[in-house]
Parts: sequence; C-alpha cells; structure tokens
Amino acid sequence: MLNVIEYEKVIELAGYKREDFSVCLGCKICASVCTVNDLSIDMNPQELLSSLFLGNTIEKDNPLVRYCTNCYRCTSACPWKIRIPEVVRALRESLSVASPFEKAFKGSIDIWGRVYEPYVFLKAVPFLLKEGYIKYMARWTGYISVHLPHKVKRI
Amino acid sequence: MDYGYYPGCSLTGSARKLDKGVREIFRKLGHSLNEIPDWNCCGALEYGDRSELTRLSRENLKKAEGMCSEIVAPCPACYKNLKEANSGNQFAILHPLELFEKDIMGSLNVKRDLKGKVFTPYYGCVLLRPEETSIRNRNVMEELITFFGGEIEGEKIKDRCCGGNQFFVNKWATERLSTLILEKSKGIMVVFCPLCHMALKTFSKDRKIIYLTDLVLYIMGENNVI
Ligand code: SF4
Ligand code: SF4
Repeated sequence: MLNVIEYEKVIELAGYKREDFSVCLGCKICASVCTVNDLSIDMNPQELLSSLFLGNTIEKDNPLVRYCTNCYRCTSACPWKIRIPEVVRALRESLSVASPFEKAFKGSIDIWGRVYEPYVFLKAVPFLLKEGYIKYMARWTGYISVHLPHKVKRI
Repeated sequence: MDYGYYPGCSLTGSARKLDKGVREIFRKLGHSLNEIPDWNCCGALEYGDRSELTRLSRENLKKAEGMCSEIVAPCPACYKNLKEANSGNQFAILHPLELFEKDIMGSLNVKRDLKGKVFTPYYGCVLLRPEETSIRNRNVMEELITFFGGEIEGEKIKDRCCGGNQFFVNKWATERLSTLILEKSKGIMVVFCPLCHMALKTFSKDRKIIYLTDLVLYIMGENNVI
C-alpha cells in the first residue's frame, strides 16, 4: 500500500501532474473498453485515477494493477486521451509488483544494455517451472536462439 | 534508398525470423538497411518511469546522428518508443509496413498471388494505439493481401489485445485473450509483433501464425510455402 505523498511520485513517474487528472469527466468510457473486462473481471480504470487524485488506497492486488495489458484501448477511447496504462506501470513500479520475468528483463538491460534472452530465461527458470510454462517448450523451439550477449558501451 | 536500422532485442533473439525477413525484403526492393551502431534496448513496455523509457530511446537516436535521417524499426514497441523520443522530429521513424505499402504493390519482384487463401491480419495493440505513435494506414495488411488476391476474415479482431504483455506475469490472462482472438478469426493469422506471434502461437492448436514478412517473401517467390 502507498500513502498519499507517494502518489505524487507515481503520478510523476507516469509523466503526469495531479491536476492533469482533474479533467477526467467520470464518463467511464475507459471502463467500457478495458481489456481486463474481457477476462471477466469488472474493471473501471476511472476509479483508479480518482483514487490517485483523491489519495484513496490502492492495493497491490487491485485487478488493474495486476492485469492491465498496456493495450491503450482506454486511452484511445478517452475524450482526454489520458494514458492510463502508464499510470498503471508507474503504480506497479512503486508497489514493486514486477514478476521475476520483468525483473530479469531489466537486469539484463542493466548488465548489457540489451535484453539477452537466454539470461532472462535462466533467471526466470524457477518462476517458469512453478507456473507451468515448461509445457510450452515444444512450441517455443523456433524462438530459441543461441548467441553470445552483446554489451553496449553506454546507456 | 539508405535507411538506418534499429532491430531491437527481440529481432536479434526470439524474432530473428522477422529480422531476416525484413532485411531480405528491403534488399529485394533495392534499399539498404544500416544498423545503428551499438544500439541499446528501448525498454519495451517494462518501465513505469516514463522518462527512463524515453531516455533509453533518446540514446539510440543520438547513436544514429549523422548516419541517417530515416530509421526503420520493425518491432512495434521499439517503433513506438523511438517515435516518442523523437521530439522535434529530428528523424523520420518508419515502420516496414509504411514502406511495403508503396513499394511492394508496385514491385517488379512479385512472382506469386494469394488466390484461394484466407488470412486474418492481426495488428495487436502497439501498432495501432495510441494514435499519435501508430502506423498511418490501419488497413495496410488487408490492402496488401487483397491486392494479391487473398481473402480476409476476422476484421473485428485486428486491434484486440492478445495479452502478450501479461504472458510472463499471468499466463492465464494471455491464454484467455489469445484464445478469444483465435476463435474469432479464420485462416492464416498474419502478425507483425513478436509478442503477438509468441502469444498466439503458444495457445493455438492448429492455426498457422506467420509474420507479414513470410507472406511477402512468398509473394516474391522466396518462400515456397506459407
Ligand atoms: S491499457 Fe490497461 S486500463 Fe487501459 S484498456 Fe487496456 S487493460 Fe484496460
Ligand atoms: S474515459 Fe477518460 S475522461 Fe472518461 S472516465 Fe475514463 S479517464 Fe475519465
């Protein structure tokens, strides 16, 4: 859980200012198009914005924090083009809810400046095993490439 | 024409088939792709810190300074991030689809048509949203396919979300979203995004999921099957 002061940071990480959300009309068009609803989870991105605006609690297991797919359907439909997925990403970062895979992805960029997929995969093996990804291995054979990592000089 | 080329991480790894296809098609069309030296990851969609994401792509633009004025970026996430970082439009950031649009239909390299074949072009999210960074022609794959005699099915799902972004977080979400798309489409699925390719392929039982580049190479007589 984050306190209200930390919400300022979330809004800033997302590239916004608090007053930018005051234009939200509450029309819930974003809710009507949100992909999370296709998962049979009722979701209302507008509630998330107003929670941030008003300083209401947002928990780690908020369905949008967990399931937002970054599809920008909400943004396309919103009269103000509010970039809700970026707010969600900032919240995820602040609430430290990154999956082991995402952590390995960023770790690879820290080391090499690029994503070295074999590293990401190996780092995430415990997670992949536990979550049952291994059964897809046969379908992934065409994606696996063997190459050495390439370190980028400066990023 | 000489272009700068930004392959990005996936095209040098799991989506190298797409990389090979793009390079081959550009070569056949008489263009050269010059890889930006020492490019770094664009950050894809992984960073909550928007300024961090933009910083990574700005570094890439700096590395391209002096070598080109137009940059081709096939991966939708790379394309989007480069466009966002390109404030002041110092470069033209191009997606291969924008070049295929004018080049392939008028190309002398075309050898085959697509008569009798059914396709579902699937763009996914990042190529079409948000609008300020999307490709201009939202029907370019349909236009290419029908120009060469192919049939289109599944129009209404082309900008749905496959859930690829959730794949390594909550795979059941991706399974559900990808399955929805597969059920509502018909024929060969044609994609351009490496993440969509992987998500749809993982959850399809008997459908062909191909990159548009595979299709273009088939039309050009390079691939014998699609
Ligand atoms: S980007 Fe996230 S919040 Fe917006 S419509 Fe897609 S899933 Fe919903
Ligand atoms: S669509 Fe935009 S203006 Fe309407 S409720 Fe959602 S965020 Fe607010």
